[in-house]
Amino acid sequence: MLYHICNMVKRLSCLIGIGILFLAGCGKKNDNMRISSWVSSPEETKMFNATLDSFRVAEPEVVFDFEPIPGNYAEKLQLMLGTNTSPDLFFIKGYLAPSYMSFKILEPLDEYIQNESAVDLADFYPNLLQSFQRDGNQYGLPKDFAPYVLFYNKTMFEEAGIDSLPSNWQELRQYAAMLTKDLDGDGATDQYGLVIEPSTEMLMPFVFQNGGNFQNPDGSLGITDEPFIEALEFYHGLYKDGLATIPTDVGQGWNGDTFGRGMAAMCLSGGWLIPFLEGNYDELDWGVAELPAGKQKATIAFTTAFSMPKNSNYKADAWKMMNYLTGKEGMRIWTSQGLALPSRKSVAIKNGFYDDPVWGVFMNSAEFARTFQVEYSERGFEEMVVAMQAIFFTGKEPRQAMEDIKLRIEKYSLK
Amino acid sequence: MSKVKSKKWAQARTGYLFLLLPLLIFGVFTIFPMVFAFMISLYDWNLLIPDKPFVGLSNYIELFQDEVFLIAIKNTIIYALGVVPVQTILSLFLAFIMNQKLPGRAFFRTAFYIPAVTASVVTSTIFIWIYSKPGLLNYLLSQIGVEGTDWLTNPSTALLSIMALNVWSTSGYFMITFLAGLQNIPKSVYEAAKIDGASTWTQFWKITVPMVRPVTYFVVVLGLIGCFQVFDQVFIMSQGGPVNSTTTMSFFVYLNSFKYFRLGYGAAGAVVLAGIIYIVTVIQKKYLPPDPY
Repeated sequence: MLYHICNMVKRLSCLIGIGILFLAGCGKKNDNMRISSWVSSPEETKMFNATLDSFRVAEPEVVFDFEPIPGNYAEKLQLMLGTNTSPDLFFIKGYLAPSYMSFKILEPLDEYIQNESAVDLADFYPNLLQSFQRDGNQYGLPKDFAPYVLFYNKTMFEEAGIDSLPSNWQELRQYAAMLTKDLDGDGATDQYGLVIEPSTEMLMPFVFQNGGNFQNPDGSLGITDEPFIEALEFYHGLYKDGLATIPTDVGQGWNGDTFGRGMAAMCLSGGWLIPFLEGNYDELDWGVAELPAGKQKATIAFTTAFSMPKNSNYKADAWKMMNYLTGKEGMRIWTSQGLALPSRKSVAIKNGFYDDPVWGVFMNSAEFARTFQVEYSERGFEEMVVAMQAIFFTGKEPRQAMEDIKLRIEKYSLK
Repeated sequence: MSKVKSKKWAQARTGYLFLLLPLLIFGVFTIFPMVFAFMISLYDWNLLIPDKPFVGLSNYIELFQDEVFLIAIKNTIIYALGVVPVQTILSLFLAFIMNQKLPGRAFFRTAFYIPAVTASVVTSTIFIWIYSKPGLLNYLLSQIGVEGTDWLTNPSTALLSIMALNVWSTSGYFMITFLAGLQNIPKSVYEAAKIDGASTWTQFWKITVPMVRPVTYFVVVLGLIGCFQVFDQVFIMSQGGPVNSTTTMSFFVYLNSFKYFRLGYGAAGAVVLAGIIYIVTVIQKKYLPPDPY
């Protein structure tokens, strides 16, 4: 009996041992510096790998592992940072930067920048750089950016007899009306002038053009100010009056598909639309233009930076890498295909983007592009998402919708 | 005497040895997270800030003043009350039919069961197309002269649409459960009823329904728990929108924990959810016991 038990204990402990070994195998040794990115398209991954290869050549003594995060990047990064297992260098989106900076989890870069004469901060577009500043510190260096421009369908413009591009709100509305057509005569619109999305990001260019703000420079919430409401009413009016559609109304996932399939003659988008159109709708004859201006020229720009965590063990190496990837040479390679646009003016010039008929529009937009950041937690921002849904899906009056959420958003200030 | 005792003890020890590994796994992956979740619900717990102050019950107080959380509770209850009865009745009915000797029975059994073994991400994506404005559902409706809506962006239909998807995808699974229950009912009972002249309907109502009551209990409990935890369909199809009309409790917990950096607040929401599930199960056990006789 005793023998049996002993034997059993032996076997059991063997089993447990295997289990423990297995679990231990899951833990990863962190011998090298690690860099992480999200994964958005095969083209982008290819370009990023090429850029990393050039870094290996430039700085052979820096050994690193590239660990891309295939999905739920923000959630994963949060957990990694919270459990001290984060990569030593990672992507951070501009709109999330205020939260991360307020948590004081990112390493301030000012000392590194001062000790490195080649950084040349003045070369960066100032708006992009400012997206990663807080309390006088720089917490990230922008690696690229993407502004919204106007994409238009050349064939539809010709068919409607339009030979110029809309330069202001009146023309945008007027052209949209001329481009809205019932092609088969069944009383339902088949071609819309414009496709918009009920999202705050797409509304903001109009707000900026009208002199409004989500959050004013003095920190107050601007969503009930006249310029904001006016822009929202103009934007929603295009949809309400049947001159613009939204993707879900025509069974599409996003505005790129709606534009590509010829359901709308114009759309607002960043450069990511170009490879999408080329890959899926290569017969489409499209062009790009600066957004029509309101009281002033403005558009929204999305930017991404490299940051490093405060508790990294490889700060010197991570800085070397960040400095290379956001430096003139690394950025030149990373943006050479135009998948992302350089956040440095000199690189844009060197890559010939200013002289390119398509990229030139994007680069000129950079002059008046603004990033969209607010000092409110994500929860406060979610109130705005819900309000936009109420306006577009339930017909709520824009002014009423903004007044209803003002106090609620103010509750979620980051300060 | 002492020999018997020591033998008993030895047996118990052997038993526990066998249980050691499962208990360890259960403890590490179930008990510990539960206790830990309750603990952090008492803190202002932001993963990214080292300072995690103890706040007592204030997360819970805030929850019940949070309009979105109250909407989430309401949506979750509507969801459960709508889905559980329909899927239970439907799956029992399907099982009853599939238990008859009908031609093509194997085919239909498989067809009904496929949704249950298909990943919810896949079924959700398919239903996004079906529910879209120019989608299949509206096409079918237009054939009978009804003009449909955009089911997932209309706040008055979005939750209902997701409920219908859930009924469709889980009925097949519970049908199998009921089938197992049905096959435990002795044929002789039905034969006796037939001799006495009972119709199929009477047999179903007077024999099948009471005899599968323990299975029904199981199906309702599992169905309720599943409904209260609904997340994936909401995450994929509507993200809680439009206008919070599909924000369920578990989606609310996810948003707060992983999007809004408020793990403590999210955990408090999860504890409330667990409490609601517990209370509902207790009520169900008291008033609708598995075996009333």
